[in-house]
Amino acid sequence: MTLVAGVDIGSTTAKCILLEDGAIVGKSLAPVGVELVKDAERALEKALGEAGRERREVQAVTGTGYGRFKVTFGQYTLTEIGCHAKGAHYLFPGTRVVLDIGGQDTKAIKVSDRGEVVDFAMNDKCAAGTGRFLDVCAGALGFDVSEIGSLSLGARHPVKVTNTCTVFAESEVSAYVARGKDPKDIVAGLYASVVSRSLSLMQRVGVEPELTFTGGVSRNEGVVRTLRQRLNLSVNVSPLSQYVGAIGAALHGLERAGSPPP
Amino acid sequence: MESTSAKAPSFLSTAREQQRSMVEEYYAGLAQAGGAKRPVAYMLVGGNLTEIVRSFGYEVVFPEIVALNCAIKHVSLPNILHAESQGYGLDVCGYVKNDLGLQDLGGETPFGRIPPPDLLVCSFSGCYVYVKWWEALAEKYGCPLFMLDVPYMRDPEPQAEDRTYLIAQLKEFITLLERTTGRSFDLGELRRVLARSRRAEEGWVEYLDSGRGRPSPIEAYFEAVFYMFPINVLRGTEVAAEFYATVNAEVKERVRTGQYPVPEEKVRLVVEGVPPYPSYRTFWDFFRKWGAVSVAATYPKVGGLFDRGFLHDPGRPLESIADYSLGAYVNQSWPLRRKLIADYVKDFQADAVLIHGIKSCRSFTAGQGDLRDWLIHDLHVPTLYLESDHEDPRYFAPAQIKNRMDAFFESLGPRREPLVPPPGAP
Ligand code: SF4
Repeated sequence: MTLVAGVDIGSTTAKCILLEDGAIVGKSLAPVGVELVKDAERALEKALGEAGRERREVQAVTGTGYGRFKVTFGQYTLTEIGCHAKGAHYLFPGTRVVLDIGGQDTKAIKVSDRGEVVDFAMNDKCAAGTGRFLDVCAGALGFDVSEIGSLSLGARHPVKVTNTCTVFAESEVSAYVARGKDPKDIVAGLYASVVSRSLSLMQRVGVEPELTFTGGVSRNEGVVRTLRQRLNLSVNVSPLSQYVGAIGAALHGLERAGSPPP
Repeated sequence: MESTSAKAPSFLSTAREQQRSMVEEYYAGLAQAGGAKRPVAYMLVGGNLTEIVRSFGYEVVFPEIVALNCAIKHVSLPNILHAESQGYGLDVCGYVKNDLGLQDLGGETPFGRIPPPDLLVCSFSGCYVYVKWWEALAEKYGCPLFMLDVPYMRDPEPQAEDRTYLIAQLKEFITLLERTTGRSFDLGELRRVLARSRRAEEGWVEYLDSGRGRPSPIEAYFEAVFYMFPINVLRGTEVAAEFYATVNAEVKERVRTGQYPVPEEKVRLVVEGVPPYPSYRTFWDFFRKWGAVSVAATYPKVGGLFDRGFLHDPGRPLESIADYSLGAYVNQSWPLRRKLIADYVKDFQADAVLIHGIKSCRSFTAGQGDLRDWLIHDLHVPTLYLESDHEDPRYFAPAQIKNRMDAFFESLGPRREPLVPPPGAP
């Protein structure tokens, strides 16, 4: 029996996955604050609570995400790029490209048939096209981001929204609202903007099946639908898509702890 | 794979000391330069005409090098902001803004006062910004501006018509120098200067070639940048000619005693692009932590691709100066630049390529994205592209750069050797 944990401290949430002999036995997800070490501790404790396991039983903890160095109680760290490659390969072994859209980052990762990173491309310093971008623009429309997932259904004339700057996009959305544009069309425009930005990143590593979409934004059905339409390709999305980084981190610990990955 | 045993950079101690005092003496000497007795010529690094102006007794100032010295000493931002307050936009080259800001603020730097130019020599070799920059200086100082129009290098060897065109311009330049200094051209003196240049170039090439060693006894990017100063700024002087003998003796000693710049060489890199001077040490540290050493780099060759055969020749003075200007790295077409990098990867047994793109440079940097794709997709060489700036500290985002670098080095592990993670690192 090998019990390992992966803790992913992202820009907006902390996620933890517990793997026992390669199977997920516990998970947790919570927003992060300013005390990342405590957030990481809490994420682990919560996942342990869900699994009914004790901290001392955990043989390896791996930190990932921007806050990976705050998982101070862990033994290993691995960037979220490496973790998303491993995690996506675990959930969908045929994965060759991972698109990960998180709170402030978009990454396209080319993956080998063993779940290793072959190449990757990331968005530059602007958060345009990320989860934060959708948050801000949803706010300008008067919605919470969780409410706009299916809003683009039935859009007839999607508007054009810039994908180079979050602040410009927000003002554009406000201007469309002021001009009385249908919110459906505005949201459809936002999704097209997110997807076209992701496509240019994916093209840098090369798009090929299977594509696995991960990160918080992959839970937005409108973005997933737009992506599928634009690529004319089936896109893997797991109900655990927000945990892919943490899964990859746990797998890294499992490799280190001596057991082969499943 | 991240090594936690990275120590402070090990420099060639005597050479480093000598280099430091050469820099100090050079800037101290500039304080007295200017005017008829010791006139000052401003020159650009790529394809410069140092030897000719030296033979006429000019002191040479390279504003690009002054700019990088300002950046490394963390004093570039006030100059940049001053230039921006005068209307130079955010996307204007940081070197240009540092220089024009500094000039307008009086030329004082922590390493000495930079004298205004008596002559501006623009070797237009690949960067169109050079022309506008030198025109702005000419307008400010009202001094003669000589524009050397260097045709773009399309073939591996200089073409006869290009050489003829350049030699004709060099003759015009000599006439201008005779007129402005009141001195006659002294071919013998030019040959002597060229002979000293060549000695420095041969020593420099020997230093660069030692990156072929496994492990490499030199850091061919971060460390080589220090040793670029004599070859670029002092070329044609006796101190520069002698300097590389000291450097190479120390490199040999390193090999004999097994003292390498990276204690455990794990990744051999070829590096392309200008360094992020405002965060030079931080950037270097990111590499050393992974046991990565640069074994060859293109940037230290911006002052001359001497390792590819463009050596000054006192026996063919004007011809070799023409060939030198044509062969400037920034003046090479992309197919030639690509080939050079691919050759370095092969000849120096590199594992990967790192490209550092410069936000505010659209000459040297344009095309690096395609270079990355070509290396990865056509040559299957793992390549990382990072971007910040050579001069403007506002563009360096350490967390993002480190993250990309960590991910890159992690990904090299499985392809080369088992990945050994840092225990509880950062
Ligand atoms: S090549 Fe780039 S860095 Fe050099 S002067 Fe031109 S724009 Fe500036």
